[in-house]
Amino acid sequence: MKDHFTMDSPQPRLLDETKQGVIGTPMDRPDGPRKVSGTADYTADHAPDGMAHGVLVRATIARGRITGMDRDTVLGIDGVIDVITDPRMIRNPAQGMAGSAPVQTGDEVHYHGQPIALVVAETFEAARDAAQRLTVHYHAEAAAVSPETTPDTETDDPVTAGDFDSSWSAAEVQIDRAYTTPSQAAAAMEPHAAIADWQGDHVTLRSALQMVRFNKAELADTLGIDPSKVRILAPFVGGGFGSKLGLGPEAAAAAIAAQKLGRPVRVVMTRQTVFDTVLRRSETAQRVRLGATKDGRITAISHDDRVSNIDGEGFAEPVSQASQFLYGADGLSFTQTVARIAATPAGSVRAPGEAVGMLAFEAAIDELADALGMDPLELRLKNLPEKHPIDGRPYSARRLADCLTEGAARFGWADRWQAGTRREGDWLIGIGMASAARSNMLVKSSARVRLTGDQAIVETDMTDIGTGTYAILAQITAEMLGLPAANVTVRLGDSDLPGASGSGGSFGANSAGSAVFLAARKLRAEIAERLGCDAEGLTLQNGQARGDNREAALTELVSEEILAEATIQKGKTAKSHFSSGFGAHFAEVAVNEWTGEIRVRRMLGVMSMGRILNEKTARSQALGGMIWGIGAALTEEMQSDPRDGHIVTRDLANYHVPAHADVPGDMQVVFLEERDDWANPIQTKGIGELGISGAGAAVINAISHATSKRAYDYPVLPDRMVALLEG
Amino acid sequence: MMKTTFLLNGETVTAETPPTATLLDWLRLNQHLTGTKEGCNEGDCGACTVMVQDENGPRALNACILFMPQIAGKAIRTVEGIRANDGALHPVQQAMVDHHGSQCGFCTPGFIASMATAHATGATDFDDRLAGNLCRCTGYAPIIRAAEAAVDAPEPDWVGADRAALAALPADPELPRSSDELAAILIANPDTRIIAGGTDVGLWVTKQMRDLGPVVFLHACKDLQQITVTDTEMNVGAGVTVETLREAIAPHYPSFAEMLRRYGSTQVRSAATIGGNIANGSPIGDSPPALIALGTKLHMRQGDTRRTIALEDFFIDYGKQDRHPGEFVEGITLPLGAPDLKVYKISKRFDQDISALCGAFNITVQGGVIASARIAFGGMAGIPKRASTVEKALIGQPWTIGTIHAARDAWAQDFTPLSDMRASADYRLEVARNLLTRYFTETQGIPTSVLEVEL
Repeated sequence: MKDHFTMDSPQPRLLDETKQGVIGTPMDRPDGPRKVSGTADYTADHAPDGMAHGVLVRATIARGRITGMDRDTVLGIDGVIDVITDPRMIRNPAQGMAGSAPVQTGDEVHYHGQPIALVVAETFEAARDAAQRLTVHYHAEAAAVSPETTPDTETDDPVTAGDFDSSWSAAEVQIDRAYTTPSQAAAAMEPHAAIADWQGDHVTLRSALQMVRFNKAELADTLGIDPSKVRILAPFVGGGFGSKLGLGPEAAAAAIAAQKLGRPVRVVMTRQTVFDTVLRRSETAQRVRLGATKDGRITAISHDDRVSNIDGEGFAEPVSQASQFLYGADGLSFTQTVARIAATPAGSVRAPGEAVGMLAFEAAIDELADALGMDPLELRLKNLPEKHPIDGRPYSARRLADCLTEGAARFGWADRWQAGTRREGDWLIGIGMASAARSNMLVKSSARVRLTGDQAIVETDMTDIGTGTYAILAQITAEMLGLPAANVTVRLGDSDLPGASGSGGSFGANSAGSAVFLAARKLRAEIAERLGCDAEGLTLQNGQARGDNREAALTELVSEEILAEATIQKGKTAKSHFSSGFGAHFAEVAVNEWTGEIRVRRMLGVMSMGRILNEKTARSQALGGMIWGIGAALTEEMQSDPRDGHIVTRDLANYHVPAHADVPGDMQVVFLEERDDWANPIQTKGIGELGISGAGAAVINAISHATSKRAYDYPVLPDRMVALLEG
Repeated sequence: MMKTTFLLNGETVTAETPPTATLLDWLRLNQHLTGTKEGCNEGDCGACTVMVQDENGPRALNACILFMPQIAGKAIRTVEGIRANDGALHPVQQAMVDHHGSQCGFCTPGFIASMATAHATGATDFDDRLAGNLCRCTGYAPIIRAAEAAVDAPEPDWVGADRAALAALPADPELPRSSDELAAILIANPDTRIIAGGTDVGLWVTKQMRDLGPVVFLHACKDLQQITVTDTEMNVGAGVTVETLREAIAPHYPSFAEMLRRYGSTQVRSAATIGGNIANGSPIGDSPPALIALGTKLHMRQGDTRRTIALEDFFIDYGKQDRHPGEFVEGITLPLGAPDLKVYKISKRFDQDISALCGAFNITVQGGVIASARIAFGGMAGIPKRASTVEKALIGQPWTIGTIHAARDAWAQDFTPLSDMRASADYRLEVARNLLTRYFTETQGIPTSVLEVEL
């Protein structure tokens, strides 16, 4: 039974009719006991018999050509097996959903830190020692490493609606501001790792990856073999946040080395290598122009940006993504410039675009409110458009106004005081808010559900990178088939299973969840037929099937396994309606007037993100995202050497992800009830990235409220804050 | 190679390793105990945390920068051994499942070890106990709730069993057991590298890949781990951990103790020693500014020769200290009775961060006039350094905001700080000045600490 479904029209809300009552509940994740006892197996925990250890050798120039390597000096080190170079090695990880090999550079160097060879040895220590000692000779070339000064830039045609120029020049009130954000790192807790093992001409790659279906194609293309000869395993992934979307250099190198040596090879990146070679979030330079009438109607919106990437990478941080649909105006214009530099390539990091674009855009909205003498909440509520301002599509489901007003009520926004007037000792206190938005997607996804009696098995190559996939797929299946969730086994992260969307872009739960839903719906039809009732009249609950005055246990009806496979892909609804998660963030901060230290005292996020599949995992995703907002606003900054572009903040001591003390005890998340009928058949929307989108801006706006000073360069580190306070 | 005998998850084992092999590598590579994770290999993230019990009780330590000889005679519990042999979860493990404290799960084993250690010691200040464990998924709140939920659960049997089994472990013959033995070793071979807690030297091995040459471990020298207190001073052995010092000093110098809380994570404070923090000579070591402001004396020993110097005189220049070949720091004496000592650590991230600057102020005022002033800073020069010109500008003047403003130009005579990735030179100098203002306002009874502001 294979079902191929295209999302062309809204589907019945079946999950609101089913009776098991497990969908939406805060069920514990089934993988929890393994994770707390150290028995969940991550890539680097495996050590197959005969395994050799590989360590990546990396370039120490920014651009040029490798003219030689003194291999013999390290091949004499005890335990060293080989120094492997190969034209199939890849320069950097594949971009998300690439499905083909990344750039393969041969003997060319394109950035400082680029993997150029793999030393393989019997022990990790010997491989690391040899990789450190290996002398590489280069013909170095001049390299532009700064996005500010590189001569190589590309500017896209602007995205527009109406006539921005005339709207802008006619605006009674104008805000025109420039902003910067630095490069940021995903900094997932698990460093990237891969183990490759060949059996004949088939390779099995175990690797920390988010998108197994795409990664399989990427590895096949990299190696020049047929995808049918590639198997990828990623049952547990220690966080991704975009950094494990695409096949990485460690995986390509492991596969090439294992093929050459005829034995398994493991390559685990050090934390420093992760910072140097895994795709960063681009730094941005942004300009926001807002025009409005004196009574607070926004008439002109422009959000231009400059981001960077290395040659040959199509990805550009979509900075103005949310700015294009949050508020309406008579004229809108968005222009992006990409600076080409010889530096660690850029790619998707959690909420690409919104994570940094909304810092600037929502701060500008706040400043416009100031200029108008309006409450920033009122300004936002007044300017919500009826339809997508660029393409005119209606919104599929949008409770942004409710999020704003509900959040304001819960946070005590009405008690907001005049900026710069509240202090506690030498701490200046302020509150701020921002809208949240993250557009929603559906990506082709397949899944298989097997049912034997009252036991079900879900199979898909979908991953769980910490998001809770094991939990929600069990819940969807249990709800649809009327089983306790404990009766459902979920198998993930194996490319031999039906191919899913993978984890990324907040579309994993929607896409993989819909495929599981459809497969289970197929099984319901089969069960109804066996019971002798209409599928519509079938009720499944606790292993019992009822319908048309008949009742039977699943153990009787399904004494031998039945299975169904389903594939979903986006269809007409993606063109007819615009789907996005929406929300509102509120923050309170304290700023020390002498040192510029900034403390977040409380935060609230109110979000409408479609049907919530698991209240516990969803809440945690939202909270975790808000922490990223604190990081972007206050601490996270990658710095690089202006001479050769090499990253200097390349460890967790100097790249500051928020620690416990940065996170206020009072962090609240509220979900508003919502169903998005146009999004997918389970009426869900993406969750993983909405929490971050706008959260940092709420902190930024609270700082402005506390100090009456506006920061335009983020994060607002203590030295920047003191300079503003004393400026 | 050195032989190290210890308890691993309840079993007595003897490992034969190079002296600078780390416990994390040994667990993962030799024992295939892969529950304990490597997230950074330098003590920043806590994913490798294990529980270590000895006669002083349980501690949570980072296995990635813990050399094998440092665990001789101790009981180690990894995440696998924190679960009972019959598979029953430890209360903190169950609570982490119940409260959704584990998402991607990679940091979880380290959190479990920190939480089980806190549970065993009865500690409930979980924000502090878990500050050394980074999590990128959860936002921390669910983890704290899990720790709180497990507080009243009974202690698993293995905690007591490990404690009881310690006595049967043999003493390690390769470790010096007193400062006399240590002195003899260093006289015989002055190039020997001294390893105390290893929280910095560990990174020389795991991050810089340095071969340390001959090494000597001083953690078995019990006579270096003593604290004695008189009415007027406190003597602290070089081997006293920062965590032990923090507890001892809190009643006398709460501001100093509060700074030491942020000196590093629980794991780092429980390993790092005061002698190491001084002898290492770092310009951004966090204890020297406060100790210098107090007027601490440093006790040096070379063979049977002992000398005592002012702590500030030990620091000569960047990377250069007044230490003779074969000489070692034996301890310090710090005066008690400086009620107005205040210590300020300024860092980009509040917790778990290297200081941009760290300042200590010890100013006494009599009859409205500044009678004495000792001010010292880290992060403002190549060494921890006194603000001598500022002190001179203050002494004899009335304790007023006007005096502080009048001393404004003196700061640039004392310090020419660097701009680096932690802070700009301008910021460092400006904040050093501002901290004196903050100190002044604090002595006027105005709340200034981050922690006094309700979070």
